[in-house]
Amino acid sequence: MYINKVQYMQKTAIASPIHFEEVFSTKKGSIYQSDSEYCWYVDFAGKLARFDYRNLLKLQKAVYAIDIEHILLTSDKSADVEIIFICACDHCYVLSLIEIIALKELLQGAFVMLELNHIIQDRLFRLAA
Amino acid sequence: MKDIMRVKSLISSDIETLLNQQIKKEALSSSIYLSMASWCGRNGYDNSADYFFKQAEEERMHQLKFYKYVLDMGGMAISPEVTNIKLEYNSFREVFEEALEQEISVTQSIKNIAARCHKEHDYVTLEFLNWFFKEQREEEFKARRAVELFDVIGEEGTGRWQIDKHVGQIVYTEG
Repeated sequence: MYINKVQYMQKTAIASPIHFEEVFSTKKGSIYQSDSEYCWYVDFAGKLARFDYRNLLKLQKAVYAIDIEHILLTSDKSADVEIIFICACDHCYVLSLIEIIALKELLQGAFVMLELNHIIQDRLFRLAA
Repeated sequence: MKDIMRVKSLISSDIETLLNQQIKKEALSSSIYLSMASWCGRNGYDNSADYFFKQAEEERMHQLKFYKYVLDMGGMAISPEVTNIKLEYNSFREVFEEALEQEISVTQSIKNIAARCHKEHDYVTLEFLNWFFKEQREEEFKARRAVELFDVIGEEGTGRWQIDKHVGQIVYTEG
């Protein structure tokens, strides 16, 4: 009975795998898209976090809003970390300045790729005669 | 790979941000007009107070129109926080001069959104904005004519009483 249950679980696990497609990756992390779940998985700072459409945009906004130059030039004694907390999202990042730069690079690349994908979809399927 | 960004929303995140800024601007306008209505009311300019009450309602309606559009297109409409509304004005004329400035700033801001729409080829939002451009023609006309009343009638003697009487009668007819 126990074995059957495990087999059943294995079967169902195999029957509905989540397909990821890599959107963009750098040496520091990657962003994958899941078409079936309509979401993205951000592999960064040692964790894989799931972001839906709205939260990915919030993450982008939060990261882009950080004034990296200001943090670099400031000479006060505050800690060199930023907390990226997104409202209504399960994840939170506590990142050093180097990591913020890396995450920004990752997001910028991913959004360029998503834009490129949009153009390709337009050209191949939506505008094709 | 699915184009999820486009599937989820018709408008880009940049346009969404601009439209949310506009929502805030319209809300601010509405509050400013309400404050102007209060000033006019407590200084004895009843017709002008009515005029500004009406303007406040119109701006609120514009705000909701933008708000609904953002939502309907799959965006996130943000209910704005409105603070720092001026309570006192130095003169009757200053109220109308500031009302005109407010309308000009709204027109300019909508023009700015349209410029961005052109850049992104977002003709859907551009078409939506057309209604507002037409509306702004009327709004600016009315605000400008109201300021001009101060020169045409003059503020001496019963001038301000006359101006207050005529403010509500300004009508824009498309020629």
